[in-house]
Amino acid sequence: MKKQIYLLASLALILASAFTFIQSQNWKIDESYTVKFDGGDPSGEFRGLKGTIQFDEKNLAASKFDVTIDVATINTGNGMKNTHAKGANWFDAEKYPSIAFVSSSIAKSAAGFEAKGTLEMHGVKKEITLPFTFSNNVFAANFEVNRMDFKLDDGRHPKMMPSLKVSINVPVTK
Amino acid sequence: MAAIAANIYNQIYFFATEVDYSNIINMGSLVGLNLGVSLAAGLLYAMLTKFFTKGAIIFNFVYSVGSFACVIIPIAKTLPLSQPYPELFPGLTVPMVFFPVIAWMTIDPLFKKD
Repeated sequence: MKKQIYLLASLALILASAFTFIQSQNWKIDESYTVKFDGGDPSGEFRGLKGTIQFDEKNLAASKFDVTIDVATINTGNGMKNTHAKGANWFDAEKYPSIAFVSSSIAKSAAGFEAKGTLEMHGVKKEITLPFTFSNNVFAANFEVNRMDFKLDDGRHPKMMPSLKVSINVPVTK
Repeated sequence: MAAIAANIYNQIYFFATEVDYSNIINMGSLVGLNLGVSLAAGLLYAMLTKFFTKGAIIFNFVYSVGSFACVIIPIAKTLPLSQPYPELFPGLTVPMVFFPVIAWMTIDPLFKKD
């Protein structure tokens, strides 16, 4: 009888393990995050970061970023510039209310990690590689985005840098 | 007089909008700015009236046009990113730009001899 119980238990364990899939750690975004951009003039930040962050250093294959930023939260520190940035000539927040990044793969790099994925901004989708680090429960990324790739140009600001330096700092909790 | 008016308006604006801009402008900075502008205006008036027969008229014109031109300063000012509602900042500061010239025009006739 005992033998049969052990046999059944082992069978149940094997069956259960067949349906077990390795899941990456889910992280909650802490409110103290910053998403800053520097285009010379203007520079500023976005709020409204939402989405899911699944990340496990030991299981990068199951890790994934699916995050969005609310375009209407853009803040350059100047009301007139904010209105202008949200307007139809730039981000067109009414038509394209969010900036989205969905990763397709995450790999280790010399400086930390690299997330390959699709960045959607101003209605344009583009494959990008996002370098980032993760330490002390903080994701940090510094990279450049060519605004011309996303048709962010009203043709009236020739002195504005074509590349925007983006600096992201996202503390997370389990 | 301009400094007093600016501080009163600052308080009214705060009660109306409940947005605190005290880390950018406060009582001290308003008094300092208005005193500085008024003293500079006084010096300009003294110089213009000394060198031109119609110096007072020229001064009034320069002061009014200069004040109007200065409207661009608060509109173009970039506030710290930690400051909420930057779009309400011009509503506070643009009228204040005219306070020194209004104060001048109000007080100036008192010093005129008939």
